[in-house]
Amino acid sequence: MKTLFLKDMRYRQARVVLTALGITVLISLILLLGGIMNGMRIQARQYVESTGADVWISAEGSGGAFIGFSMVVEEYMAFLNSGPGLVPDSAAPLVFAQARPTVRGKSTKAIVVGYKLGQLGGPKSTVEGRMFTGSNFEDYRPEDPVPYEVVVDEKMGLEIGEQITLGNEKVRVVGKAKSLMFVLDTPLLFMDVRIAQKLLLGNTPHVNMMIAKTNKSEQPAQIAADLDALETIEARTLKQTLRDIIAYYVDEPMKAVQFLRVMLWLAAGILIGMITYVTMLEKTQEIGVLKAIGGSNGYVMGLLLKQVVLISAVGVLLGLMLSYVFAAAAPIFVLINFVESIIVACISFVVCCGSGYLAARKAIAVDPMIAFRGEI
Amino acid sequence: MAAIVEGTGLTKHFGTGDATVVAIDSVDITIEESELVMIMGDSGCGKTTLISLLGCILTPDAGQIRIDGEPIDPELQDMSVIRREKIGFVFQLFHLLPYLTAQENVMVAMDLAKKNTAEAESRATELLTQIGLSERLHHRPAQLSGGEKQRVSFARALANRPKIIFADEPTANLDSRQSDNLMNLIQELRQEHQTTIAIVTHHEGLKENADRVIQMKDGRIVAA
Ligand SMILES: Nc1ncnc2c1ncn2[C@@H]1O[C@H](COP(=O)(O)OP(=O)(O)OP(=O)(O)O)[C@@H](O)[C@H]1O
Ligand SMILES: [Mg+2]
Repeated sequence: MKTLFLKDMRYRQARVVLTALGITVLISLILLLGGIMNGMRIQARQYVESTGADVWISAEGSGGAFIGFSMVVEEYMAFLNSGPGLVPDSAAPLVFAQARPTVRGKSTKAIVVGYKLGQLGGPKSTVEGRMFTGSNFEDYRPEDPVPYEVVVDEKMGLEIGEQITLGNEKVRVVGKAKSLMFVLDTPLLFMDVRIAQKLLLGNTPHVNMMIAKTNKSEQPAQIAADLDALETIEARTLKQTLRDIIAYYVDEPMKAVQFLRVMLWLAAGILIGMITYVTMLEKTQEIGVLKAIGGSNGYVMGLLLKQVVLISAVGVLLGLMLSYVFAAAAPIFVLINFVESIIVACISFVVCCGSGYLAARKAIAVDPMIAFRGEI
Repeated sequence: MAAIVEGTGLTKHFGTGDATVVAIDSVDITIEESELVMIMGDSGCGKTTLISLLGCILTPDAGQIRIDGEPIDPELQDMSVIRREKIGFVFQLFHLLPYLTAQENVMVAMDLAKKNTAEAESRATELLTQIGLSERLHHRPAQLSGGEKQRVSFARALANRPKIIFADEPTANLDSRQSDNLMNLIQELRQEHQTTIAIVTHHEGLKENADRVIQMKDGRIVAA
């Protein structure tokens, strides 16, 4: 009777369904959290990669590009622009700062990217409207008077000509750039580096970093290392910058989430272990009877394990599918890595089966004499 | 007549130290082929323990058991194999699996013994028909009366053509009419299958059906 275990499951279908659903929800949460973090990493990368820069330079001790502030010193800029191994005049200042602009009366989250029009750091063209007016001053002195104009992410839903408020000032939307959201769907606001300094950095000649391209013939890693050896500046390659930005914006803040994922795994294991165990306790008498009438431990174990495996498999598979549904419906950018999700599903399956096995092993240790003893 | 089950010098203790209970105390017992024996005695005198020993569920602390002439060695043999191949059990509380129909409950016994399903199904049908439950093949235990359940469990016990069936108070949860029916059935089955049956019971009224009554007291056989 190959279907004996199925008959048992059908008899306890409410519990079987609940157990599988419990696993489904836990697994989909585990996968969804992974997808959220993966989405954050992708969003953290995509802006950095879009700049096309090869070296990322900040002042020594500033905390690094994207994190600290560096004074823009004319001599550095001149040095970098004529710089060793760098494309001439490719070095550009860049402000990358979290901001809370008021958009249509609502305070929202955004990142202000201040860069030099036509240089590295932001788009060269818009998908709608025009680029902002760039400042003329080459030395970034605070007095540079340019209009407050911003190019917004096309997905922000703003119209050309609309105004947003940033640091007490009204800034006019003049163009829309191809969507390029940062971590957690934070839109980027592109503007002239001088405006960014004025609105966000108290009009001081600070930037978060300088970026530059290396000559085709050079190894970016070598150039960055040479620059980094200088006493006053830190220089990083694209790869190092990506690692830093992912650590800073994703991995460090999401440590608790990682921990939560492990806990959810544990919960999934404990859940199925517990339910299996409770079910087994209820079945003690049955198991005792099966053993009394000659069922070997292997026979009874097989009966129980088939159920555990089936429930785990169904729960994990549904969880896998549900996580993709959740990911599609999530209000933020979530991208579940397929390979990772398969690995997670396999591990979850093993965890569930393992704890079910432990419970089953305990259950089959029952003394068959129980069959004579009536109620327990 | 050949001895189907033989126990010599059987002793079984439970517990340790001061709490030790001597449940079976140097018992010698023989049950012959096709015999219907009743095992009687006061509560706690060791009846269940005795049939558990003879049925290879418990292992004796001392003594020897032979089934169908073959000595049983719990150290060397897998007791579960002996139980499923040579012994049938009927319990006071029926202990049918609630999620299976009458037919499937009988089939389980053969499934444990790795019999093929089609064969098991036809034998289950045959046995249940023989005991008058052809109308109840596909009923679950919850849909059967106590007497019907007990008959299904006899069918389950018979499924693998055991050498002997041990029944522990099979009529204790039945009313007198149901228990008379069951005894009639047992008599019929004996005619049909020449099965050896040992029944533990408190019902004095059942005695008349027995070929022999084994009287127990304080872990010993006092009359056989
Ligand atoms: N697992 C055990 N641990 C300790 N003592 C036990 C155990 N099983 C049985 N006993 C004791 O062994 C003795 C014999 O028990 P047994 O169940 O064989 O009696 P019985 O004749 O079947 O009684 P009843 O008619 O009430 O079913 C009793 O004193 C009982 O308390
Ligand atoms: Mg008893």
